[in-house]
Amino acid sequence: MKKSFKKTFVIVVIIGVVVALAIAFYLFNMPKRDVQATKTDFSLAASTIVNEYLKNADSANEKYLQEDGDSKILAVKGKLFSITEDLNHQKVILLKDSSDKAGVSCTFTAETNAHTASLLPGQTVTIKGVIRSGAGYDEDLDLYENVIMEKCDIIN
Amino acid sequence: MKKSAVVLFAIATLATLAFKPIPSKLVSRDAHIHFFSHTSLEDISSDNYKVVSTLNPESGELVFSVPMQSFEFEKALMQKHFNSKDFLDTKKYPKSKFTGKIDNLSDINFSKDGTYYATATGEMTIKEITKPVKAKGTITVTGGKVSLNSKMNLTLSDYKITFSKGKPSTNVAKTIEITTNSVYEDLK
Repeated sequence: MKKSFKKTFVIVVIIGVVVALAIAFYLFNMPKRDVQATKTDFSLAASTIVNEYLKNADSANEKYLQEDGDSKILAVKGKLFSITEDLNHQKVILLKDSSDKAGVSCTFTAETNAHTASLLPGQTVTIKGVIRSGAGYDEDLDLYENVIMEKCDIIN
Repeated sequence: MKKSAVVLFAIATLATLAFKPIPSKLVSRDAHIHFFSHTSLEDISSDNYKVVSTLNPESGELVFSVPMQSFEFEKALMQKHFNSKDFLDTKKYPKSKFTGKIDNLSDINFSKDGTYYATATGEMTIKEITKPVKAKGTITVTGGKVSLNSKMNLTLSDYKITFSKGKPSTNVAKTIEITTNSVYEDLK
């Protein structure tokens, strides 16, 4: 009786340790969220989100940003204002109506950069990505900052 | 009469273009910030390619606005910790900022190609705590394009970013190194 209890106890402890190590291993190597494979949280026009932020940035941040950094995934439709490239060789499309004070800046990835190749300013496109930061007038910059989205791809 | 007016106008325009004026305010919408923390246990680094910066060649004013959720880490778990309430609390404080001035503006000729050593003094605001900081770097002018590279050190506890226990207290350095790289355009 005593011997079989000890044996069971040791097995349970070993299983416990293995499970704990497996969890730790998973956490340490947890994959990043695949933005394009994740369901869109909000579909809206570029002007809409820009104006939401210009009206009340705090409530917009409450709505769109998440504490752990995996913020809301947006599908934004707007007029292509410009295509540029950032210092990480990622394409950046600015969706902006000429009547708006700010736009939505959409940064693509190495995998999705090529999808921007045939696009031209003036075209209307819908872009899906994760929001990083909102629009607003910055006193120190003396500029309107754009909504910033990353991990983008064209979805229409 | 009309013809000579057109010719005069053309000459005047060419004459103005021949002058290379000091560029008006410069802006970079996708500047790069890299930070690095070294301890004997672990090296941690992160990159942000969505920094907005302005540089005024006439006044020397330099501003960096940093969207905190754009800092990317190799490990997803580390990125989550960085953004969390216990650390940078990025939902509550989505932006950090540097505002300052180039100290030796007179040493820099924005109209002449070259590499100019520069220092800047200003303030850094993280989690709504503002502290004075100094940075040094180079301003490079190539074919009329202005770019800036700088380095500065940041002591985390100055901004109340502290850890009393657990992995962060041993694996994150007390002082981290921040490197910036920005390529500017004329503000249109």
